[in-house]
Amino acid sequence: MEPPAVSGRIEAVAGPRRSEARFSDDPFRAVLRALAVLDPFRLAGALLFIAVWELASIFVSPIILPGPLSVLRRAATDFWSAPALSYYGVEDPSLAGNLAYTAENVAIAALIGAAIGVTLGLLSARVWFVRAAMDPIMMTAGTVPILIAAPFLLIWFGVGRASAVSLVAFYIVVILYVSSQRAALNLDSIYENYALTLGAHRGLMLRDILIPGTIPEILGGFRIALAGAWGLEAVSELLGSQSGIGKVLEVLAGATDPQGILATLLVLGCAAILTDALAATLIARFAAWRFAGS
Amino acid sequence: MPTETGRRMIELVHLARNYTRADGQRVSAVDDVSLIVPEGEFLCLIGPSGCGKSTLLQMMAGLVGPSSGAIVVDGKEIDGPGRERGMVFQRDSVFPWMRVIDNVEYGLKCRGVAAGARRDVARDYLKRVGLSHVERAWPRELSGGMLKRVAIAAVFANGGEVLLLDEPFGALDYVTRRQLQEVLLDLWEEPGRAVPNVVFVTHDVDEALLLADRIVAMRNGAIVDDIPVGAARPRDTDTLLVPDMVAIKHKLLGHLGLTHSALATASERGAA
Repeated sequence: MEPPAVSGRIEAVAGPRRSEARFSDDPFRAVLRALAVLDPFRLAGALLFIAVWELASIFVSPIILPGPLSVLRRAATDFWSAPALSYYGVEDPSLAGNLAYTAENVAIAALIGAAIGVTLGLLSARVWFVRAAMDPIMMTAGTVPILIAAPFLLIWFGVGRASAVSLVAFYIVVILYVSSQRAALNLDSIYENYALTLGAHRGLMLRDILIPGTIPEILGGFRIALAGAWGLEAVSELLGSQSGIGKVLEVLAGATDPQGILATLLVLGCAAILTDALAATLIARFAAWRFAGS
Repeated sequence: MPTETGRRMIELVHLARNYTRADGQRVSAVDDVSLIVPEGEFLCLIGPSGCGKSTLLQMMAGLVGPSSGAIVVDGKEIDGPGRERGMVFQRDSVFPWMRVIDNVEYGLKCRGVAAGARRDVARDYLKRVGLSHVERAWPRELSGGMLKRVAIAAVFANGGEVLLLDEPFGALDYVTRRQLQEVLLDLWEEPGRAVPNVVFVTHDVDEALLLADRIVAMRNGAIVDDIPVGAARPRDTDTLLVPDMVAIKHKLLGHLGLTHSALATASERGAA
């Protein structure tokens, strides 16, 4: 009963590839499994994209479209030290430092947003007046593009970290409210009844039934929210922040530096992919029971 | 097999449960049911679907409140679920997010039994139901029959005095059903512990005759018959051919709406 293979995508756990994980002691199967995790089609897609980019950069001036290799080199140099950034007024003159700032904000927003969103979502599925009170707010918030609240948050929190964090946290709250509410509503009431007849009291019900029974769906929502959170955080930093990847992008755009912008986007993209892989690992760990026996 | 002292374990006192349908019509699922079950008795509730037997069982579990009347278990009136009344549901209720062994020891965990002690108890019951080899499996990896074994192990491990089973084997094939009936009886009659009361809801006449000390038939929310089953244990399919048992079977089939003449007419029509 080993846990299913951990790979970049939850589909890899649920789909036919999962069966290969059962035969990991067979070397041939192990190679197949490694290939499956790498996913040749995704790899081919990335290679095709780079090829088209390279080809286009031959015909277009490097000032408009720098080639992939030069962007990669630029990202590598700027990662630890980019003195030009301090000249433009960015507090920390390196991509790493600004990425850390952005990542910190995403992490703080994810923690706050998840705590509030999941608690309210689960409560709303079991306590009618919580749902009655929260549903209209959350449903309205869900239909309004969150970015239009950004200027308003600037008035409240100023240009510092708080304004970006609250924007991203709010976005995560809405997504997790909806996904955890749906997960709890979908959870068959037979489990709660069964737990009651075994002697579980209300407090245990949350810890042992409601949370573990809904965590696969909640984590699925969390993964979607995280993917959006990186972009939203960077965009909110465009609006008057002094640090962060968004700020870097803003000053590089002002300096007409496409190579720098692409290098920065590359770093941001890599960070987002890593986070996504981490979220997928979490899902594979906590949702193993859901994919068992299929 | 009720004990000689004849202590009243379960008492239903003028129990009723009404529903109001969406169209405003009042429905009486259970209508003024009174019943006394002595300690250690294996009682089967039988009746056609919709007769209120499942509602009655859910009220005894404390999952559904009565509209009027009372349920007294071991001298105390109940007002909700409690671990002294274990329940095996018709549908699968085993927690899919806990491994088999964690499922079996969950009730003990709820009341703070130490990890080592509860694992020993769970292992013991898993062995008795023949599932030692899947202790670490996820429930989704098990068959329907195995899941019922897990549920039975879990309620027995929890040590309740009353076991409520709601058509537990209804969805299983004949062979699995017979095997699980044996598993259930072995655990019920297990020497060295107080014999728990069993209230077993079924619509299968043969199942009731094989298992029960006493069969209560229900119809339209009310008790229409109360028949003691005297046949010695262990019983098998041959026991069902004894004249006394055949007589009870005829009576029960009648309560289920399958009268002898109605059956004969149906078979004649089938032959024609």
